[in-house]
Amino acid sequence: MREIERRGFLKLTGTGVGAVIISSLFHDRLLAGTIPEPTRFFEEKFGISSEIMKKILDAALSRGGDFADLFFEYKQANSVVMEDDIIKESTENIILGVGIRVLNGEQTGYGYTSDLTLEKMKQAALTAGAIAASGSKTRTAGFKEIVPNKQVNVTERLLATLPLNDKIGLVKEAYAATLAHDTSIKKAVATLADELQYVMIANSEGLLVSDKRPQTRLSVRATAENNGVRDTGSSSAGGRIGMAFYETAGTTPKEVGVRAAQEALTLLSAVNPIPGDQPVVLGKDHSGVMVHEAVGHPLEADSNWRKLSIMWDKLGTMVASPLVTIYDDATIPYYRGSLNIDDEGTPTVNAMLIEKGKLVGYLHDRLSARIMKMKPNGHGRRHGFGNIPIPRMNNTILGRGDSDPEEIIKSVKKGFFADTYFGGEVEDTGKFTFSVNLGFMIEDGKLTRPVKNATLIGTNVQILKEVEMIGNDMGFFLGTCGKDGQSAHVTAGLPTIKIRQMTVGGRS
Amino acid sequence: MSSNKKNFIGLAESLVDYGRTHGAAEIEVSITDGSEFTVNVRDQKVENLTEAGSKGMDIRVFVDGKAASASSSDFAEETLHRLIDNAVARAKLGGQDEYAGLPDLEKITADATSLKIFDPKILELLPEKKIAIAKQLEAIGMTDNRIKKSTGSLYGTYEFTQTLANSKGFSGSYNKTVVNCGVGFQCGEGENLFQDGWYEGAVNLDKLNTPEIIAAKAVNRVTRLIGARKVETQNGPVVTEPPMTAWLLGFLSECIGGVNIARKQSFLVDKLGGKIGSEQVTILDDGMLPRGRGSAPFDGEGVPSRRTPIIEKGVLKNYLLDTYYGRKLKLKSTGNASGVTNLYVAAGTNKPDDIIKSVDKGLLLTGTLGLGTVPTTGDISVGAFGMWIEKGQIAFPVAEITISGNLGELLKSVQMVGNDLDFHGRINGPTIKFAEMTIGGKAGDA
Repeated sequence: MREIERRGFLKLTGTGVGAVIISSLFHDRLLAGTIPEPTRFFEEKFGISSEIMKKILDAALSRGGDFADLFFEYKQANSVVMEDDIIKESTENIILGVGIRVLNGEQTGYGYTSDLTLEKMKQAALTAGAIAASGSKTRTAGFKEIVPNKQVNVTERLLATLPLNDKIGLVKEAYAATLAHDTSIKKAVATLADELQYVMIANSEGLLVSDKRPQTRLSVRATAENNGVRDTGSSSAGGRIGMAFYETAGTTPKEVGVRAAQEALTLLSAVNPIPGDQPVVLGKDHSGVMVHEAVGHPLEADSNWRKLSIMWDKLGTMVASPLVTIYDDATIPYYRGSLNIDDEGTPTVNAMLIEKGKLVGYLHDRLSARIMKMKPNGHGRRHGFGNIPIPRMNNTILGRGDSDPEEIIKSVKKGFFADTYFGGEVEDTGKFTFSVNLGFMIEDGKLTRPVKNATLIGTNVQILKEVEMIGNDMGFFLGTCGKDGQSAHVTAGLPTIKIRQMTVGGRS
Repeated sequence: MSSNKKNFIGLAESLVDYGRTHGAAEIEVSITDGSEFTVNVRDQKVENLTEAGSKGMDIRVFVDGKAASASSSDFAEETLHRLIDNAVARAKLGGQDEYAGLPDLEKITADATSLKIFDPKILELLPEKKIAIAKQLEAIGMTDNRIKKSTGSLYGTYEFTQTLANSKGFSGSYNKTVVNCGVGFQCGEGENLFQDGWYEGAVNLDKLNTPEIIAAKAVNRVTRLIGARKVETQNGPVVTEPPMTAWLLGFLSECIGGVNIARKQSFLVDKLGGKIGSEQVTILDDGMLPRGRGSAPFDGEGVPSRRTPIIEKGVLKNYLLDTYYGRKLKLKSTGNASGVTNLYVAAGTNKPDDIIKSVDKGLLLTGTLGLGTVPTTGDISVGAFGMWIEKGQIAFPVAEITISGNLGELLKSVQMVGNDLDFHGRINGPTIKFAEMTIGGKAGDA
């Protein structure tokens, strides 16, 4: 139950559910070899017409309320796992349902069902509508269908449409490369997970919009063993991409496997950190967890309109060093966190949050934007049809600076360099931790011994002001973010940065 | 309810028959069908109210020792048949695994009635009553003038029917109810804010504490943090309150799970039968505990639930296993295909106050922040909140510190076990005193 109070950022590892399928339903049944376009999907497959949606919205608002919306979801998720030198398991998961929401001022009523019959949907609508007792009657407007004006998803060679054997080939390649990297690597698990989600959103203001969202991730866990010491490294690569992504240098299955193996090997010789306050350099590839936890969560507007976030009364004020600019850009093509529209049908944008140290915006869903009298910016997301949309991050980025990353490390006489993480966690109070899987000691301006079991801890409003140098490089980290029991695909980007002083925890 | 139950057994058995006649050597079908009611209250207003029925199906097939699985929330016959056909085809492309397959048929002796996991009183609660309790939880807390804001209260009830059938002849079903409730608060000033709360879950309404007790616990947990500060980095004894004992036990559950043992991603690999903890440490997983949050007649693959000693007076007795990892490790399933059931540290004889009195200088751990636990090594490094103990007395609250140690060493360093074991969720434990962890804070005398 503690998850209810806290938000966590979980790094993806190869332990996820397994995966994959041979003939997806799209081949064999639906439309003979072609992938249906999202706009007609729910009507053709489940008979959900505009008339039916209007009837459900009318039922939802029959007792009052000022807004209602429908979120239809059909998702096929596949996975395939290789372990112990065999293809161990494959899975195919189908998620189908509709969520019906009624807003009545600041109150939300919600119902959902997997039975897309008019009767069951009306029943769920009436349940959702019970939140609004005898309010004024809102009428459902005629639908005006919009088509997203951008395409963040790859549309070719989606993994959900490929035969299982192609995917098995990819997993085998990653698995073999991991074990072949070094004789100390004793164990590998390679997992390929792909999904294709169809959504259709209709609301009482007449909005009607659909989207089709692929999501794929290849992940590897490697265990190294030497003289009875064992350590585990992991690596993953993916996004809203097709098969071509894994044929591109930098994200080939072989490279994903080798990175996991390298991390496990480096950990074998790692020592514990020197605990206490010290200068900390965050490396570019995985430290996006810092901007996600310390900035992203506290700027999600739900905890701000509720005046619970430490940031709620800081709009327009300096909350960070003037070097710091932070934005959340859901429009970057093919990234794990990208979306054409959010789960309320709002087109996504690049939302500025902190500009040269000044807080200029929050991450909004419709409800928070209405209450705070601001514009929605496409951050209303949901885990699935059974969940109420809430403000979430997508791709949260701390903008590049002008320092040479080498110079940043050289500037530290004695300190800590954080490289990879298990994840992080933050409270509304701004208190956060990042759990470091692999770090390095910095001694006389050089990275020296590898370090494990370190934790970084602080309060965001203090740490943001301690950012002293920002690199001219950039790296991204794939993650799954948990909040209020809902998970969301995200990334976070960060250049190499130096924090003047931060608490490093670990064993002495 | 009973007519539903019948239908689901019928549906599960018909899908098992379909699988057997369409290429599956073995097949298992598991169906969950339930309903949810959740209300969130903040500032004495209903903020969210969710009410719905939900269902899901999980299918596993085996062909020549090759496994594939599927799941669906769409129960249309053509969808389910297609999923089974696809699974059979996919299984054939997999690798042969001598350990893969269904468990042997065993007789189920318990049911929801004998385990007391179905409470009609939870179903009889009117929505108005649940909303009223959520409001009451918050209202009681807000009367304390140190509390600045409510982070919200919740009251949720769930009921579901779990049905399982497989091609070895297993066919079973049970009903279960769950009630969750709790409240959280925020206090403090400016940039020095604190938040905490108290949440409980139970399968019987009368296992839940009264709103007055839950609200008082939430208030105490947050107000005691006001003015928290860092301490200097040092090594010292750590006393875990029951929720923190449960947190450590949650980490232990990963380290004794079949998957991590088989993958050699646990510090407890090859330690069965060995002395891994102090004499005072006894840990059990009891799926038959009456009124237990995690009790059930059978697990996710139809293996009867049981009472499994994990650590007995410091000796590692069992891992938590399903059928697959049981066979792979040359052991037997412990009925944990669905994870832990009711995992707990057996109560000791010490009063919690006496445990605190025994500490000259150390930490009473009340909360953690972060994900720094590593099953492969047992290493722990997380952010922490708590109360500083000096000369046997609570001296002041601490925050923004870290605690670090190793679970293997901690199990051996247990010095006192409290008598305050209580059951609130699936994982529980009493207050425990550990000899030493590293407490990280200001640069100090480390």
